[in-house]
Amino acid sequence: MSVPAIDIRGLVKRYGDFTAVDGISLAVAQGEFFGLLGPNGAGKTTTINSIVGLSTIAAGSIELFGHDVVRDWRAARVTVGLAPQEYNFDRYLNIRDVLIYQAGYYGLRGPAIQRRADALLERFDLTSKAKQVYTRLSGGMKRRLTLARALIHEPRLLILDEPTAGVDVELRLELWAFLKQLNADGTTIVLTTHYLEEAEELCNRIGIIETGKIVALETTRKLIGDRSLQDVFLELTRR
Amino acid sequence: MNWIGLQTLIKRELVRTFAIINQVIWPPVITTLLYVFVFGLALGSRIQNVQGVSYAQFLIPGLIMLQVIDGTYSESSSSVFQGRFMLSIQELLISPLSALEMVAGYVVAGILRALFIAVIITALGIVFVHTAPLNYGLYFLVIVLVATLFSALGIIFGLLAEKFDHIATLTTFAITPLVFVGGVFTSVAFLPPLVQKISMFNPMFHMIDAFRFSYTGRGDVPLALSLGVVMFLAFAALGTALVMMDRGFKLRT
Repeated sequence: MSVPAIDIRGLVKRYGDFTAVDGISLAVAQGEFFGLLGPNGAGKTTTINSIVGLSTIAAGSIELFGHDVVRDWRAARVTVGLAPQEYNFDRYLNIRDVLIYQAGYYGLRGPAIQRRADALLERFDLTSKAKQVYTRLSGGMKRRLTLARALIHEPRLLILDEPTAGVDVELRLELWAFLKQLNADGTTIVLTTHYLEEAEELCNRIGIIETGKIVALETTRKLIGDRSLQDVFLELTRR
Repeated sequence: MNWIGLQTLIKRELVRTFAIINQVIWPPVITTLLYVFVFGLALGSRIQNVQGVSYAQFLIPGLIMLQVIDGTYSESSSSVFQGRFMLSIQELLISPLSALEMVAGYVVAGILRALFIAVIITALGIVFVHTAPLNYGLYFLVIVLVATLFSALGIIFGLLAEKFDHIATLTTFAITPLVFVGGVFTSVAFLPPLVQKISMFNPMFHMIDAFRFSYTGRGDVPLALSLGVVMFLAFAALGTALVMMDRGFKLRT
């Protein structure tokens, strides 16, 4: 049996007296499309930030494909691509260079990376904007660029924080189709979203976090049963 | 070591520099020209030789240090702070770049930027004041050490700052006053004895004195002393920046 894409054991994260993540343990298998849901402030983003190295860990451990994110951080980070909710692009680079420089930070460069950047721009319909800075893009274009940047180094694990926030229905459906195909091609995907229908449509398995604890961890079908995900979600997270 | 990552960060910093060239390259060059014309050539013609050279020739190395110090600090501090403020520094934080590689990226870019500014001003000195370094080894060594020190200080204050105003605090209340009384415009030998003694504790004095040695072959204090002070401060600042970056100070929550 292969090692999990993500193996979180007893993760604790505190901000002063406040415990944002309180002993979470969960494993995401390779090839899974996993949904991490929860109300605002439940600990989703903190968990994601701990996985990608944007947050330090107070206790517990996280391994990505068998690489500990603290002790073996360099090998762990190569495996993961993050598409954050915020548009945190480099404002001094055009959007093609945003991709190429990001690859450079991962130790990748050369004609193959340039071809991959061009292919991603093409795939996300951004080729005509390649020489522009991101501030000139529309919201939907910025969202697509976020995804392209996360994929430039061909990560085995893709983490999406609200990937369709603020985009129109047409683009949302287009992104869903793309993510399904990416997952079918072998990329493990972790998704956080407030659109419950999105999680229901895309995810094989769902974890729900409430006040820093996992309150549900099931396959989507089993979690929902004969109800809607919204009903289940509200029942589990009602404070 | 992630060499490609390091090179990419250096290149990115230089792209930023040349994207805002009217803020970071031309102002120090034009300001220096004005200093040379007004203080060096106009007023300076009425001043006796200083350390065996004309006042304008004495002025040039001090002005180069002034711009190297100001340029490297303001660039690295604003780049780090802007990266935090705009969250774009997260691109580096999630990548397989170590704290050492990140600090090295900012510092090496700072050194290259400083050399670029210094070489332009040096060329102006050759053309307008007919002065050039006598010892290019020392010239480059001091620029590299001073640029390292102020790039590292820029990283430190870029991490500490909560708003852009905080970055200017060090410039306004420490760097600029200390540089101006540190021997840019006059030899400390012209100052009262008590002020001369106090100057020994001004780190900018040692930077300017060591750098001027590369032009005039003489200084107000032994070269070993001023170089020692600059090296110690550069390594101390570099070490502090490295520790802060390694701990993810105000970067990793």
